[in-house]
Amino acid sequence: MRRTTIPFGPQHPVLPEPLVLDLILEDEKVIDAIPTIGYIHRGLEMMVERVEYTEMGFVVERICGICSFMHGMGYCVSLESIMNVEVPERAGWLRLIWAEISRIQSHLLWLGLGADAFGFENLFMHCWRMREQILDIFEKTTGGRIIHSVNRIGGVKRDISDSELAAILVQLQELGEAFKTTARVFGTDPSIAHRLGGVGVLSMEDARAVDAVGPMARASGIATDTRLIGANFYDRIELEPVTETAGDCLARVVVRLREIDQSIDIVRQAIEKMPKGEGLPLENKPRGNPNGEVFTRLEQPRGEVLYYVKANGTKNLERFRARTPTFANIPAMIKLVKGCDLADVPNIILTIDPCISCTER
Amino acid sequence: MPNPLKLPMIPRALRNLVSKPATRRYPFEIRPRFAGARGTIEFDVETCNYCMLCARRCPAAAITVSREERTWAIEQLTCIACGVCVDVCSKHSLSMSVNSRAVHLRSEVGPQGQRPGHEEWHKPAPAATDIPAVAGVPAPAASQGA
Ligand code: SF4
Ligand code: SF4
Repeated sequence: MRRTTIPFGPQHPVLPEPLVLDLILEDEKVIDAIPTIGYIHRGLEMMVERVEYTEMGFVVERICGICSFMHGMGYCVSLESIMNVEVPERAGWLRLIWAEISRIQSHLLWLGLGADAFGFENLFMHCWRMREQILDIFEKTTGGRIIHSVNRIGGVKRDISDSELAAILVQLQELGEAFKTTARVFGTDPSIAHRLGGVGVLSMEDARAVDAVGPMARASGIATDTRLIGANFYDRIELEPVTETAGDCLARVVVRLREIDQSIDIVRQAIEKMPKGEGLPLENKPRGNPNGEVFTRLEQPRGEVLYYVKANGTKNLERFRARTPTFANIPAMIKLVKGCDLADVPNIILTIDPCISCTER
Repeated sequence: MPNPLKLPMIPRALRNLVSKPATRRYPFEIRPRFAGARGTIEFDVETCNYCMLCARRCPAAAITVSREERTWAIEQLTCIACGVCVDVCSKHSLSMSVNSRAVHLRSEVGPQGQRPGHEEWHKPAPAATDIPAVAGVPAPAASQGA
């Protein structure tokens, strides 16, 4: 049969960011997909040569507008382990709380985008309305909605008072209750089940073979979660990875729905367990310049992120590199797209939760 | 055709038809910024001693300081509101206000495409007798004022 090549992206209604897939079709079936990235490469990793290590965290935060908190945190954690700085306990817990709140924010954003991609605009608005409340929490506590700039090497810049933390928890729990109605729509609406159920199935073996990470792997039944390694105070949290077994687009939606509840619960546990009081130390300032190299792993909303930092004893790092979860999930995405119908391609691409800014930095 | 009574979004949508909108009517109704929000950098020309630390540490290279001409300038649109300059200034000349940055018109873009948002301060040098001697820095020449 004659083959047709259709370019998908860089401008496409379902794509929030530029990604190109050359889809090779036979009739309506996708035979092959060739991805191209590089449209929004900004050279942020290269900026270590100009920006001193103390300020590089603010650049790293700008890798991505959705998981910016965790990028900043990952950078600071890496530098702390090179320089042997211990983070004060309250600062570590605050980081964990902010990280989980940003996971909720990211999943709500994605659920909205996903709903928009399968044509459910009303649901999109509902998800984003809730996300707005989370952004308000961020603006109140960190000073910025998207870019928080609270992480410093050795701790955090701002404290959240105990009464404010209690209020945030109440707000999150109310939001979680209100979200149940929206989550029910995702779970029970027949049009959603029809559009996503059984589409883009990634079996557990395939997910292992292509090294899927994050919700993508968990939706295929692999109980992987970098938070389980216990760094950054996660060892004191009771945490069970959210898994689904179906491996289809609907399962990936459901994993993220359930992770929102899980994150609210983690915030609750953290607020209970963290040391209370005013004026506790928040920052142990590092001394001297870093020297050495380190790998750091964190669980971002999209999956495992890996940072490599190499320092050579000067004010500027020698190398900084981030391997982001979307990059790790692209092989899985290509695997799913092969053999599916053209009409299902947008949903499959969106359910990996692509973040191209992260991927290209 | 699915039964519309089983579509869980229908009651929600009907309720939304009669409820208050979730959005604000923006230019008429503005939510005040939260206390502690990071907005614009404000500068106090009286206390600054032109040590240039803020300019050196600014990750966005938004600040330019000239010790000889005693000018301090910031590109407000380049600033990323990280707050480092506020932290490092030992003279407390800088502060972060909650006000968001000014909106500029296209007509304010300079002839060579210079971005608007440039703010500059100039402090005339005090009489030569009050300048403490700083090793390695030539005493600034008396200037004509701002
Ligand atoms: S750090 Fe403070 S005193 Fe020094 S140049 Fe900047 S504003 Fe002036
Ligand atoms: S807030 Fe940050 S980016 Fe803005 S002028 Fe100060 S140091 Fe530079």
